Amino acid sequence: MNKTLLHVLYGILAVVMISVFAFKVFQPIQVLPRMQLAPAFSLIDQDNTPLTSEDLRGDFTLYTITYTNCPPPCYNINETMQEVQSRLNEAPLDGIEVNFVTISIDPDRDTPEALNAYARSIGADISKWRFATTTNKSLLKTIIGSGFETYYEDKGDGTFAFDPAFILVDGWGIVRSEYRYATEVSLPDRILRHLGVLAEEVHNSTGSAKLAYEAAHLFLCYAP
Amino acid sequence: MKIKFFILAIAIILGVTVGVYFLRPHTFHGTVIQSPDTAHDFTLTSAAGEVSLSDFRGKLVLLYFGYTFCPDICPATLANVGQALRELGNDAGDAQLIMISLDPERDTPEKLAKYTAHFHPSFIGVTGSPEQLAEVASLYGIFYQKTEGSAASGYLIDHTATLLVIDRDGYLKLVFPFGVTVPEIADDLKYMLRQ
Repeated sequence: MNKTLLHVLYGILAVVMISVFAFKVFQPIQVLPRMQLAPAFSLIDQDNTPLTSEDLRGDFTLYTITYTNCPPPCYNINETMQEVQSRLNEAPLDGIEVNFVTISIDPDRDTPEALNAYARSIGADISKWRFATTTNKSLLKTIIGSGFETYYEDKGDGTFAFDPAFILVDGWGIVRSEYRYATEVSLPDRILRHLGVLAEEVHNSTGSAKLAYEAAHLFLCYAP
Repeated sequence: MKIKFFILAIAIILGVTVGVYFLRPHTFHGTVIQSPDTAHDFTLTSAAGEVSLSDFRGKLVLLYFGYTFCPDICPATLANVGQALRELGNDAGDAQLIMISLDPERDTPEKLAKYTAHFHPSFIGVTGSPEQLAEVASLYGIFYQKTEGSAASGYLIDHTATLLVIDRDGYLKLVFPFGVTVPEIADDLKYMLRQ
């Protein structure tokens, strides 16, 4: 093998390696990880109508859990949900709908009537924000505990211990982000930024650009 | 000198193009999941006895949720997987399809064994109590519900029709939508079997 050919090969290798390194460092495309499948479910909402995971397919959905007797401020869950809803126009969603679902962990007291009264008391827009639960406690534990990997426990004194988690699920039913801890960036800001990142992927990840998005997943170019 | 430099530049450009083409990562036809946790284990009943997902660590496991009375999408998907496995030849021994019934009332383990054998001799059909199946289906994102059918078919079951692939280490790796073709399944499985 002559020297020129060797130089060419080294050159090719260097260009490829630099390109990969640059992609990883500069992250021209950011994505949210495809973390796991969200659990499937059939719940009953505040209007006493079924709410299933299939109903939400195709849209983005932000889930959270709570119970209506949770003493205020109850981790500011409702305030966060409301702020994200009111600022949705800040995320470049380009027509993708965002659903909001609060699942109650207290089905004994949180009947559809109780959920309805609660939704009204906090001024929730129930056309976009559903409150739901199921009286099948074993399945509820499966959905929240194993499916959404979120701890909750009935303390037996009318209160529940639980992780105040927010979970973002995409239109394919895949968990794309979880918000369990406070960071320097406020929770609504992070959620809105992530909704924008997700919408960009949905709109742009077609044709040859799909390869770039898959590379972003492969190199873990995750939006902070 | 100038000509030599020109040829060198062309060679590098061509080489990079060819290099990127051959070194590019495999483009999966299914949606890739990057779960940090292993897939939920389960133990259900087949005609040959109890079957757990963890029994197949070291193999690729394809999970499909359906039922033997399913008129269209289940046989179509299972036939495609069977054909894809035949295309893999000897490597197919490292891939195992498990069909999980969503119809515990009508699908006995024996009926499932007979049904799955139509598509590929290696396929395993499992069932369990309604509670067990509801839990497993939920954890794999499979929604299902009974709907009315004809007098001949009896009730039908609407269900999520995805095909799931769990890698050799027990992590859910791929989700195929309904309609995935034989070459697409074979291509992704071939790649995963080489890993």
